[in-house]
Amino acid sequence: MAMDSENGRTACRKHEALLEDYLNEELSGAEAPSAIEHWQNCPVCSALLEDARLSRRLLRVAEPSPDPGPSFARLVMTRIRTVEHERVALRANFWQPFVSFGWRFLATATVALIVLVSYNARWGHDAQPNVVTVRPTEAMPMDILAPEPTTVAANGDEVLF
Amino acid sequence: MAASAQTLTLPFQAGEKRADDRELVQLSQSGMEAAFEELVRRHQQRVFALVAGILHRSDDVEDIAQQVFLKAYLGIKRFDQRAAFSTWLYKIAVNECWDYLRKRKVRPLTYEADLSEEQVSRLDGIVSSSRPPEGPSARAETREILERMLGVLPEQDRQLLVLKEIEGFSVQELAEILHLNVNTVKVRLFRARGRIMETYRRRLNPLGKGHAASQEGKE
Repeated sequence: MAMDSENGRTACRKHEALLEDYLNEELSGAEAPSAIEHWQNCPVCSALLEDARLSRRLLRVAEPSPDPGPSFARLVMTRIRTVEHERVALRANFWQPFVSFGWRFLATATVALIVLVSYNARWGHDAQPNVVTVRPTEAMPMDILAPEPTTVAANGDEVLF
Repeated sequence: MAASAQTLTLPFQAGEKRADDRELVQLSQSGMEAAFEELVRRHQQRVFALVAGILHRSDDVEDIAQQVFLKAYLGIKRFDQRAAFSTWLYKIAVNECWDYLRKRKVRPLTYEADLSEEQVSRLDGIVSSSRPPEGPSARAETREILERMLGVLPEQDRQLLVLKEIEGFSVQELAEILHLNVNTVKVRLFRARGRIMETYRRRLNPLGKGHAASQEGKE
């Protein structure tokens, strides 16, 4: 026997979980006959069962919550669609700056490319610098600027030079 | 979701065979909005009852119930169907209710002292006659009185009792929804019943009707 601290009553813990099944007329299994016999003979358990039956009558007086009706499903679906639209819009807004930046970058690059190609087509040949090609000849040896090592300096200035 | 999907004749609309939740979930996962709408229709009453049972029938029940279905819709692609759709949905509902109660911080407190003598005697009359009150206003008032009586119970015991006895959930369902062992649910339900009758008797005794209901019950 276990003490029920809340009610100050005792109940047989062994059959306590079965009491609810018995109340709901769902009691079955090997333990059922011994449990029923116990409850018939135990005054505490039979009083608890009686209370449980009364509480059930008391509670079943109240009616369950009513069905919200067909409009509820329509409301739910409307709300779902609204949220879906918001999510799509939010996703679009998230990428919007990146898309915008991408387009601007593409436009700027295209303009720059057009300008460069046009410039090259119009002034490309004229703009090339004149390059003088010096080819070595027999009259002008390659080491023309280098002093001849065998030449002896004529004066002091020449030595400095 | 594809809007054009709604124009198709769906299996559950043909009338030949009522599609089960599993099929409807699969169709919803593939983007068929109409299939999800059918799921809403099928489960709206139970979700409503569950939310109302937990939230003491507050004004926000409809809003919370809508939120439950919205969350289910957004998460249905991740639902692997290992559990029944209803169980999954009810778990969402319970979590949503707890979130709501947490945000509000306090539960609406009720005290047994709130019951007037007239209310107690009316309740006694109902229990003795075992006849439900007639008329919507009388029924609403009885429910109100019962809610006050149930206010003496711990919150979870109150929820168990309301969901089981008033809203019609089974012990198995309650265990799954509230993440409890089946035997725990049974024991708590039984103890909660005892406690509610204690309260009931305490209110009856000042009126000198202590055993009236109990005698009627035995007959």
